[in-house]
Amino acid sequence: MFSYIARRIGTALLILFGSSFIVYNLEALSGDPIAELRTSAARNRDFLIAYYTRQLELDVPPPLRYFHWLQGIAGIFTGHPNFGKARDGLSVYGEIAAAIPVTVRLVLGATILAILLGITVGVITAIRQYSRLDYSMTFISFLMFSLPIFWVAVLLKQYMAIEFNNFLASGQIGIEWLLISSAVVGVIVAGLVSGDRRRVITVFSGSFIAAALMLLIVNWTNWILNPGMGVLGVGVVVGGIGVGISTIVVGFENKRVLWATLTVVAATIAAYFPVNYWWSSSDMNALNLLWPVLALVAVAVAAAFAFTRVDRGPAIRVTVITSVFAGLFLIIDRLFQTWSIYLNTDGINMRPIPTFGEANVRLSSDNFWILFEDGLLHVVLPTIALTLISFAGYVRYSRASLLEVMNMDYIRTARAKGLSERTVIVRHALRNAMIPLTTLMAFDFAGILGGAIITESVFGWHGMGTLFRNAISSQDLNLLMGVFAITSFLAVMANLVADLMYSALDPRIRVR
Amino acid sequence: MKAKRTLRAVAVIAAGLLSTSTAVSVATSASAAARSTVIVNETSAMTSLNSGTPDTNLVTNSDIGYLTGAGFWYYDNKPNLIRNTTFGTYKITKNVANDFEVSYTVNKGLVWSDGTPITGVDLLLSHILGSSDYSKKAGLGDPNDGAAFNSGGYGSPYDSHIKGVSLSDDKYTVTLKYDSFQPDWAIFGPGPAPVHALELMVDGKTKLQSAAVNLAAKAQFLTDFNAGLNGSVKRLKTMGDIWSNDYNIQTIDSKTNPLLLVSNGGFIVQSAVANQSVTLVRNPKYNSGPKLYSANPINKVIFSFVTDGSPAAQALGNGEIDVYDGQPDTATFQQLKGLSGVTVSTDTTMTYEHIDLRVGNSAQSTDPNEPAYDGPFKGNGQKARDLRKAFLLAVPRQAIVNKFVAQAYDPANQADATVMNSHFLLPGQAGYSTVTAANGSFTYRNGTQAQRTAQALALVKKWYPSASAGSKTVPIKMLFKNNSRRIGENLLIGNEAAKAGFDVSNVGNAAWSKKLDDPSYDVAMFAWAPSAVSQTGSNANYQSDGSNNHYGWNDADVDAATHALEGLLSPAQVTAKYLAADKQVIGNAWSLPLYQWPQVSAYSSDLKGIKPGPLVPNLLWNYWEWHF
Amino acid sequence: MSENNQNPNAVDAADEERDLIAKETVGLSQGQLIRKRFLNHKPAVFSLFFLIFVTLFVYSASGIHLNWGATPITVQGWWPYTITDIPETVFCDTSVGCPTWQHPFGQDPLGRDYFALVMRGAEQSIVVMLIIGFFGGFIGTVVGAISGYFRGWVDAVLMRFTDFIITIPAIIIGAVIGFRVGNLGVVPLAIYLGLFSWTGLSRLVRGEFLSLREREFVDAARVAGASNRRIIFKHILPNAMGVIIVSVTLMLSGAILLETGLSYIGFGVQAPDVSLGSLISDYQDSFTVSPWLFYWPGVLIILIALSVNFIGDGLRDAFDPRQRRQISRKELLKATFKKPADPTQN
Repeated sequence: MFSYIARRIGTALLILFGSSFIVYNLEALSGDPIAELRTSAARNRDFLIAYYTRQLELDVPPPLRYFHWLQGIAGIFTGHPNFGKARDGLSVYGEIAAAIPVTVRLVLGATILAILLGITVGVITAIRQYSRLDYSMTFISFLMFSLPIFWVAVLLKQYMAIEFNNFLASGQIGIEWLLISSAVVGVIVAGLVSGDRRRVITVFSGSFIAAALMLLIVNWTNWILNPGMGVLGVGVVVGGIGVGISTIVVGFENKRVLWATLTVVAATIAAYFPVNYWWSSSDMNALNLLWPVLALVAVAVAAAFAFTRVDRGPAIRVTVITSVFAGLFLIIDRLFQTWSIYLNTDGINMRPIPTFGEANVRLSSDNFWILFEDGLLHVVLPTIALTLISFAGYVRYSRASLLEVMNMDYIRTARAKGLSERTVIVRHALRNAMIPLTTLMAFDFAGILGGAIITESVFGWHGMGTLFRNAISSQDLNLLMGVFAITSFLAVMANLVADLMYSALDPRIRVR
Repeated sequence: MKAKRTLRAVAVIAAGLLSTSTAVSVATSASAAARSTVIVNETSAMTSLNSGTPDTNLVTNSDIGYLTGAGFWYYDNKPNLIRNTTFGTYKITKNVANDFEVSYTVNKGLVWSDGTPITGVDLLLSHILGSSDYSKKAGLGDPNDGAAFNSGGYGSPYDSHIKGVSLSDDKYTVTLKYDSFQPDWAIFGPGPAPVHALELMVDGKTKLQSAAVNLAAKAQFLTDFNAGLNGSVKRLKTMGDIWSNDYNIQTIDSKTNPLLLVSNGGFIVQSAVANQSVTLVRNPKYNSGPKLYSANPINKVIFSFVTDGSPAAQALGNGEIDVYDGQPDTATFQQLKGLSGVTVSTDTTMTYEHIDLRVGNSAQSTDPNEPAYDGPFKGNGQKARDLRKAFLLAVPRQAIVNKFVAQAYDPANQADATVMNSHFLLPGQAGYSTVTAANGSFTYRNGTQAQRTAQALALVKKWYPSASAGSKTVPIKMLFKNNSRRIGENLLIGNEAAKAGFDVSNVGNAAWSKKLDDPSYDVAMFAWAPSAVSQTGSNANYQSDGSNNHYGWNDADVDAATHALEGLLSPAQVTAKYLAADKQVIGNAWSLPLYQWPQVSAYSSDLKGIKPGPLVPNLLWNYWEWHF
Repeated sequence: MSENNQNPNAVDAADEERDLIAKETVGLSQGQLIRKRFLNHKPAVFSLFFLIFVTLFVYSASGIHLNWGATPITVQGWWPYTITDIPETVFCDTSVGCPTWQHPFGQDPLGRDYFALVMRGAEQSIVVMLIIGFFGGFIGTVVGAISGYFRGWVDAVLMRFTDFIITIPAIIIGAVIGFRVGNLGVVPLAIYLGLFSWTGLSRLVRGEFLSLREREFVDAARVAGASNRRIIFKHILPNAMGVIIVSVTLMLSGAILLETGLSYIGFGVQAPDVSLGSLISDYQDSFTVSPWLFYWPGVLIILIALSVNFIGDGLRDAFDPRQRRQISRKELLKATFKKPADPTQN
């Protein structure tokens, strides 16, 4: 095993050497780094051409120049790597160090969201194969699979930012939107249930009326401009989620787990006011968000231990997941409370959804919640766009994988021995179905740092993708190779990790 | 299940009602009061506070430099060179053969943003940044091999003609001595630099210092400068490193060394977030330039980095930026027009599009194995001249200008736009009408395009009797950058020239500029982008050994006229020389100008006092007049 | 959740399913089975016809122009305008260059007929898609088959070579082809992209070969003395065909998005030629003013990619019946004890 990893890392270095050599030379051939100077009217053009020739070593043939670059990079083994200087005079190392967090902020949320949503939808459609829901989800995921992100982004900006901001001027949902959104809710809910036409119509009209009623209340309370859940709302939502999770994982019959879950919900309600008070302090920081969540997780583990004697694993899972959701909703509720303050801040001026950038430059507040809200709102559109695109892949793969597994003999055995369908799916099928997906995830995570070239450019984010693109178009070899070194290293490593994970999860496969 | 869901929904709403009370208690009152912040769009990020090195000489950096600095002159929106008399005065003090002196006097009482007085000592750094001789003498290295000060100012006429620099006894006047008359002496003037801050950073200081310490540092710089005239100075070397590198920062906050921010413009840099924005606030001690508008003033200018085009228009519409200038396409322009509360104006820049015909191999070409140019336009024989003239006659200049200037921003516009007719002057500049009346451009604007194309066909037929419309008799290879505007121009030219028997093919690609010296094409189309108004500015394009003459153009009359432009001439004499040169350039059928690039400015209608200018820094030039 | 499974439709489906399985076993060849199953997949069949229609429509509209050596082959299309024509701009009440009978997709700001531009762009996308699919599919299958079948050092070397290719970004290829090669057209770009986009497929094929080569029928063939070549081509490859075809269709729809994406950021098809991506990039700003310039290229990308995806889904179902619905125990019980369905109920 160890020698296998060592060998793979050794070959990885060789691969990186080869591909970086090729990329360096290809890029060096692909353009003219001093194009602008050639038609420049600057009086000291000759001096400047000489300067760049010296600075960029244009008089050295690219294959030799590559080794100069490699020499700097090789410093990584002595702890002093030299990525060189970018053409704008900044150090490549610094530019990359600044870009990575930006890219991670942009892509991480979308990737996690796409994985969670994609797998959930994929599993549901696999269980309900060839149902109405399956057909409509198949169509939707194929549609998303076919969407060019640069096209979607323009639409998103227009309708989810500019039009939504216009809408916020009144904050009242118009009658046509009320009807349309209620109808959409109705269709979705009706799609989830199965049955004859009468039942579908009943469910549709029921949920249509419920949704319309809810939207009317939203209008009446001006909830969109002044949202909030309050202690009761958080309690009810978290309670619902907890009961739901415990039903899925261990079944509603398991009262012990249910009690443990409800304990977590009670703890959340009890914590609501103290936590909100604590979060209001002026020295609030991101770390303080974590402590209440950790405390709830601790309560969850304790409750699971207190209520159950045997088979504690699933109980702990249920309560811990519930507690994480509880923490999340405490934060969401707090963000809801900040919303109206944020809207009325000078510099937001009731136009909260931005079309570009990473943060609002006009915002002069140092309040943690305002800045947090601002940061989140800037991620909204790119996250939606990225999620739309990669979501489809996860739906298709997890559906196919689960269907494949459901045909296996051991599933037949599990059913034959009388296990409930829930147990068969959750405990036997799902886990094995997820194994092939690990490869996809490993590559997706590796792609995170290099990936979102188009998204970053459309939404004006200055991450790795933008650096990469700028480096190519301005013939900035040092910058390009710096970005390339990181992304290609991650790609090769993801490959290795995928292989290792595969063998760890599937004992039939062994690495040699 | 459904009942539970409904119940939950009701409960959420109820709780929402409860929770609004907590929200209101922490709400801060929104200020709908007078605005004082302006957000200006820049298409690229700030990379340095110093735009003086070749690497950092970028528009955003120099725009920020413009707001944070003031010197002896600036360009207005005409563009005229305006002397900034608040800062100081300058004049020629001696003009004889081999001895030309200009002296610059800084007004007394001016201060840097840290309160240190501005004197002539602050002007001396620009000599270090422009003179290779000084750099070598002071042990700072030969700029051709890399000097301590990584300045982009070496290698200019200043560098080759400066003989010496002296400081008056009261330390407020600096005199520059050149070895001969400098036609562009007025824009070679030294700019002020906070030398005391540089000296303090050489000493490792990271805080603003007291007045006495600042003055001592300034005195130290004078000592170093004078020592540098005679030998190596270690302190200057360290300073060069600081000047070249320490200003290259993208993030500015309370941890940034405040000495880097010392400046004398109307605004000072307060903070910057890497790749997002730079925030400038009013410089309370500003007295180096025109007074800032006092009623409803701008207290804060934020440069926000958004890519040009639709993102910028959307951001403007969404209130994320207040000021935009750029060259949007028709659609973005319409989008800008459609925004409420936004003023949109179109102007022209000094950048102009032109079309050049090859006559022979480039004098700049260094490749000894380069094949000789053998296209239809080769040489100065009658055939080549006729074919060149025929091709230029067949260029539908009016159609191009209408399409890319008049209709670019108003597609329904049927009126004819102004075609540019001189290689040396822009429409509207003094002397333009005199030059264009007699420079031979009349041939290329006389009658309708159909008539001109018919003349062109006749000229082609003279040498190729079989030529006819669409006969593709004379193949022409055209070089240009493949962007949508040039593609359109190429299509219009190709369609029209085909009627005169030409067959225009496109050999352009993204690396077109590398091919300018390549004799495999016949026609080049691109734009010249002057960065200053200068009477010698076009010389390099048309002189037989000019660095921008890629086409083997060689005409003794052009050389004589352009060399004469390097002397001290009256405005009328300058116009006469322009006319003499232009007449030959057009008469030889070397080249034709097409049009000035349009530029668009859009800004919040609340903002007053904006007057877009054609030269960098474009609409920022009169920031002191801006107000709400 | 489980109680919702009591679903009469599902039971009917289960019946049909069993009928179908029963029918399938009656004397049909593998090819006939696949065709039958594919034809049963309505969206896929519809998509196939749609794609064929779009391809014919697009190509017949702009005609075919091949620049092979001295004798260029040119077949005029039925659409009167080409991408280099600049007809007079038609003025409408509210805007300029809007859709008219003469120019159904409108005109671009220069006056060019937008229908001709979009057709040209779609043509490019289809060419790129097919070329990438061909090269990617071929190389991916060969590399995957060889490394999966022979294993050992051959496998190790080929898989590391795959890793090597994975690390080279497509955008670099686009930049080099665009800047260096210039206006050779879309074919070289597509070929180079194809040469670099087989990595995913080769890993899949390798996996398939690794497991298939251990199966009894391969052992049987080997014992019977079949050569490696025969085993690969006659025994294993036909069984891996499902995986290959499915991922090639995915590669096709991915190829469209890759080419349009590259063209969008300026590293794909270079002007003066157009691509659906470059059209979107050029006219995305027109969105609020002349939306037709923005919508049409996007709609074409989606339609082509969507139909390719559906065809892939149909092929997957046809080749890989294993993922058919498993009839659950409850449904079986239900079906066994259920009275015949009341026809009035539906």
